[in-house]
Amino acid sequence: MTNLDPDKIKVILATDCGSTTTKAILIQYVDGEYRQTHRGEAPTTVEKPFADVTMGVVNSVTEIAELAGRRLVGDDGRIISPATETDGCDIYISTSSAGGGLQMMVAGVIAEMTAASAKRAALGAGSIVMDVIAANDGRRPHDQIQRIRDLRPDMILISGGTDGGTTGKVVQISELVAPAKPQPRFGSDYSMPIIYAGNKDAREPVSEVFSEGGFDLQIVDNLRPVLERENLGPARDKIHDIFLEHVMAQAPGYDKLMGWTGAPIMPTPGAVGDILQTVARLQEINVVGVDIGGATTDVFSVFDETFNRTVSANLGMSYSISNVCAEATMPNVLRWVPFDMNERELRNHVKNKMIRPTTIPQTREALMFEQAVAREALRLAYKQHKEFATTLKGVQQQRTVGDTFSQQTSGQTIVDNMKLDLLVASGGVLSHAPRMHQTAMMLIDAFEPEGVTMLAKDSIFMMPHLGVLSSVHAKAAEQVFDRDCLVYLGTSVCAAGTPKPGKTCFKYELTGDRTASGEIIGGQMLLIPMAEGESGTISLAPARGIDLGEGPGKKVQKTVRGGTVGLILDGRGRTLTLPEDRSSCQSTVQGWLDALDVYAETTESMAV
Amino acid sequence: MTRVLCSLLILLGVAPCIAVGQVVDLAPPTDVAASDVPDDTGGQIAVKWGLSPQDRPAADGSNPVLSYVIYRKLVQTGRGLESGAETDAGAGEIIFTSDFDYEANRPVGSVPYSVTEFLDENVEGGVTYVYAVAAAGPGDSFSPLAVAAIPVTAKMQYINQGKLWFLIIMMVISIVIVYFVFYAKRGGKIKVRPIAGLEAVTEAVGRSTEMGKPVLFVPGILDINDIQTVAGITVLSNVARTAAQYDAELKVPTARSLVMTTARETVQAAYLGEGRPDAYNEDNIYYLTDEQFGYTAGVQGAMVREKPAACFYMGAFYAESLILAETANSIGAIQIAGTAMPSQLPFFVAACDYTLIGEEFFAASAYLSNDPEQLGSLKGQDVGKIIAAFLLILGCLLATLSTVLPAVAPLRMADLYIMNNVLGEDGLIPDEERVTMLNNEINELWEAQKAEPAIDEGAN
Repeated sequence: MTNLDPDKIKVILATDCGSTTTKAILIQYVDGEYRQTHRGEAPTTVEKPFADVTMGVVNSVTEIAELAGRRLVGDDGRIISPATETDGCDIYISTSSAGGGLQMMVAGVIAEMTAASAKRAALGAGSIVMDVIAANDGRRPHDQIQRIRDLRPDMILISGGTDGGTTGKVVQISELVAPAKPQPRFGSDYSMPIIYAGNKDAREPVSEVFSEGGFDLQIVDNLRPVLERENLGPARDKIHDIFLEHVMAQAPGYDKLMGWTGAPIMPTPGAVGDILQTVARLQEINVVGVDIGGATTDVFSVFDETFNRTVSANLGMSYSISNVCAEATMPNVLRWVPFDMNERELRNHVKNKMIRPTTIPQTREALMFEQAVAREALRLAYKQHKEFATTLKGVQQQRTVGDTFSQQTSGQTIVDNMKLDLLVASGGVLSHAPRMHQTAMMLIDAFEPEGVTMLAKDSIFMMPHLGVLSSVHAKAAEQVFDRDCLVYLGTSVCAAGTPKPGKTCFKYELTGDRTASGEIIGGQMLLIPMAEGESGTISLAPARGIDLGEGPGKKVQKTVRGGTVGLILDGRGRTLTLPEDRSSCQSTVQGWLDALDVYAETTESMAV
Repeated sequence: MTRVLCSLLILLGVAPCIAVGQVVDLAPPTDVAASDVPDDTGGQIAVKWGLSPQDRPAADGSNPVLSYVIYRKLVQTGRGLESGAETDAGAGEIIFTSDFDYEANRPVGSVPYSVTEFLDENVEGGVTYVYAVAAAGPGDSFSPLAVAAIPVTAKMQYINQGKLWFLIIMMVISIVIVYFVFYAKRGGKIKVRPIAGLEAVTEAVGRSTEMGKPVLFVPGILDINDIQTVAGITVLSNVARTAAQYDAELKVPTARSLVMTTARETVQAAYLGEGRPDAYNEDNIYYLTDEQFGYTAGVQGAMVREKPAACFYMGAFYAESLILAETANSIGAIQIAGTAMPSQLPFFVAACDYTLIGEEFFAASAYLSNDPEQLGSLKGQDVGKIIAAFLLILGCLLATLSTVLPAVAPLRMADLYIMNNVLGEDGLIPDEERVTMLNNEINELWEAQKAEPAIDEGAN
């Protein structure tokens, strides 16, 4: 790894080695700011017959070199670094999710406490959590051992007990793992890495348990030293280290790739989380990011500087599409479709998509159906995220007599849509929607943002690259994120509460680059064109009981930013409810789609 | 036969009797009548009469009548003389004779002058009595006896007409409870709002497990016959189940030996139910002392020594509540309290993490068990409370409106009906006397309003 002065970094080359495609981008310092200038991609070559990930990397970088007219790959097949006037780059960085990414199993004493913290640490580091073993998970020890034996994780994270707390239970958990002898995914000569991040008093007995059996025990600080505080950093860092040293070292070509990079290779989701945290910290905003894939949906959130990530393993748009339809139920999916559809045909469509994941919708109806499924997949994934992203459990509460009738349990979700400032979308169905309006509508319907929220999408899935970059050059990462990574769709202004149909929901007055004023009726949506780069100030006067950010009925004034879609005013209320009756539901949804010009080829001028 | 005797008595009793042995210089009371008190268990007879013509102040301010004395006789029936407790008052005599001896016969009661009724509460159900009243003056002067025209028999009524509304409301609530019990049994969903204190049980026990500290459960200081202690033991069962699942150590110091025995049985059953009988330790449920502050000191000592990570206070508490809660707060324990002692609730709310207040505490059993019968009962009781609240609001509204608009007859009638029939004891049918009075009052108001001269707004 190179230690470069950030001010001297002018040319940055970044790759993301995905399961199927290796994507490369070139970032250059142009006119006093960092910009993403070129991109290239090539098939990933981690599998046989190539079995060398660097081949795909070189191919994608070569494409950039041709486009940029800059020589990036040397005669020896290596990436040229440092940069000269016409050749090479100052730093090369990479992420990887090839071969299924990082897969972990975590264990803790109580599922809602130390085990939940361990899961947060693992997910935050970018891994997929295969299972959580806990003393109260309802399984008998022999079932737990069998489960551990069946799994083939890349590593295991064990936590449990506060410092000075229980020792016996932690040892018991360790004694479940040790005799199960879980086998790693890669390499037969590979010692299963165990990270112990529990009670410091239990380190010795835990070491004793893992002294035999071919385990590679690594001890880090307790991730829950007291129940009132989480300390996930050491465990996350250790996960990254082991990911590089053990997991990546086993994958074909990664040992070579690691020698090229100027910063540690990161798991792709971990890097996405890092860039969102960096942006949230630098801009002092709350961010939610979503990446909907074929098999899984990742949701990231940063609220009040607290980062959370969840992976909904069975919610996706191809391999998992059947599961989405089963979990959400077909009537819930169809409520977003404004016309009658033959259910048998739909089921065939769903199964076809599952077995042929790369197909794309050929008709407008198929597109509408697929986007309806995406709404439900996103809604369910966000629901799971809200349930996971909570305050810590097991914490002592401070009360006053005023709390007599308003006592709340700990473990409440920290995800607050009213406080959300930026919602970022990525993943095929969102990024590659024919019209940006469709992406915006899917986001609003699924996430139900409240108040004033910016909507954006990751233009070319650049967030992983920028995540690694943020660890070496946060300023460059933020600049590229803001200027090139995100395509701003616009701003949504959504009323929370239950507006009365036909009655005023809120009044608005827009000033700045565009001027408009009027009122939004309960159940109505309105699109005000506002191009990218335009901004203005919107004054909002909600009706009684309607909240737009300052409390029910209170006036709000906010700065809004335009985008490819514009300014969206939503008077449908929250929680979003659709009519039960099918025909009434269809006409309502059609009204919303028309209002936002979602599926029209040409946008009619709107009277504002 | 009884009727014949009764008729004979009537004939004899119509005219006032002339008694002997006493000075008789007063006019007797008039229109004496006795009647069975309705809606009772047959132990009361009401006697009423008209005032003696002399019952009014004389010129010097004195009243010749000082009191009225009430006598009664048993009426012989076809089965012979009814036995009674009042042998002194005239056993063997069946009628008031003309030579009635005021001194030899003990009265059943007396009332001051100007009073025209007497309630005889010492009668036997099913026995027929005849009553007589004499006015009594200064010295041993009496008026002749005025005998009631009709003998009366005290009878028991099976339904208290005055409580009919109470019966109707109770029937409605019972039907609602039964309905919801069956509804829940059939699989209907009954939603119980989340009770934070009960939701937090797993969290508190989990904290103890993570910290490797025991869970302390205090079941109050009263005995097992107190309903709060019983409710506390119900919660203990749930805490014990969770402790068994999490393999946490549970300690229960008690202030009563019977509570200790019950708690041991409960905890043992819970551990057995969770398949952890080996983890049950009888010695962890122990008796300290019956003395309030001795017990408090003992529990405090356990807290300071063992530093439990979770403390539960479920039962009846007095002055020790704040002492215990503050001590546990100082050692950093999660505390969950539940009591129906209103005076202790503020202390628990301020010092504990979660507090079950009154009804929440008693609903804990249904909430935790999810048993359809208990949930149905809980829902039915809620409906009862809604009915009570509705009647309260309606009553307040009608009372206010009838005060503001006193001449509106339907409002006054509705107010009268709710006050005297639904909440009072007039039964289903309004009392005619009250209705007449109300109508008269309303008519007077109308008359008064008509009589008022119209206001000439133009005049100055």
